[in-house]
Amino acid sequence: MELNRSTALMLRAVVVIGMILMVAGIAAELLGMGDGLLYAGILVLILSPFAGIIVSLACLLKERDMFWAMVAGILLAITVVGILISL
Amino acid sequence: MDPLLLVLLIVIGLGAGILGALFGLGGGIIFVPVLLLMGLEPTEAVAISLIGIIAGSVGASTVYVDKGLSNVRLGLLLEITTATGAIIGAIVATYLEEWVLMVIFAIIVYFSGYRMIRSPETIVHPSEDARGRYAFSYRDEASGEDVSYELQHVRGGMALCTVAGMISSMTGVGGGMVKVPLMNLYMHVPMKTASATSSYMIGITAFSGAITYFLGGQVLLEYAAGIAIGAFLGSLAGTVVTRRINARHLRKYFSVVVFIMATIVLLQAAGVLRWN
Repeated sequence: MELNRSTALMLRAVVVIGMILMVAGIAAELLGMGDGLLYAGILVLILSPFAGIIVSLACLLKERDMFWAMVAGILLAITVVGILISL
Repeated sequence: MDPLLLVLLIVIGLGAGILGALFGLGGGIIFVPVLLLMGLEPTEAVAISLIGIIAGSVGASTVYVDKGLSNVRLGLLLEITTATGAIIGAIVATYLEEWVLMVIFAIIVYFSGYRMIRSPETIVHPSEDARGRYAFSYRDEASGEDVSYELQHVRGGMALCTVAGMISSMTGVGGGMVKVPLMNLYMHVPMKTASATSSYMIGITAFSGAITYFLGGQVLLEYAAGIAIGAFLGSLAGTVVTRRINARHLRKYFSVVVFIMATIVLLQAAGVLRWN
């Protein structure tokens, strides 16, 4: 299950980074050092599902699983459109 | 921020995270009303809720996707129409009465919950000779068996997900409550896979809304962080339970939880627990 392993790995990496930044950010905030870290941590967290889609697409392309790669590609495009619409 | 408030937010996140991971729900039904009770504005509450949903979804996914319980391909496929529906829903929402949608939503959820209690799960096994692109399998750790299944009504499922996406973005809830029965009852996906796949999908659905609110500066950072950290840890705890639990029991408990939540939504529609 290369697709599942890789996707899970990316999700885990990004969310853990986000969590660490958030915890550090809360500590910084409580110490009166501003909310830059907190902001960064939450942004990273929010982006984690998006990163997951990208990794899934890459995996499916690598495995030459073309039907499902197309599915992932379409979803990625729709997600980007959604972001652009709301900007 | 008051440390006690932070602890409270984390605990709320924990509860919603566990529940969400167990049943493939997002937790929005808990987050939004609680945050409103704490005095936040509706937009603030929804924004934080979406971030909490992502934290819970990704947390659960790190386990479910890795263990093969989440069907990533199915999730990506259904998310195409769900995300489209969510975009349409956000646009349409301005023209429609919200309470109408909530009532429709509650009816759908009641019906699904009822069907899940009454009907035994039917899995369609892939035919021996033709293993098509919609044939999958997963290993159920509770029973120790490999379960093979073949998706049914794929196009219908995708079409219904558009509706699920629309309702989801219009009411702020209902991602998992519609998707899990849709996958389990209609597309004949085994319960644990349906719930795990929903957990994975919900983060993607919540992402578009969350990034919009965030870039628009509408997120109260400390609130979001507290909820998110709790939801993340809670979802990890929830996955431990799901992997051990008997799938039939999961199905029954899901129906009960979902009945309660649909009732909460109806009360909100009726103005008893109004949020905007």
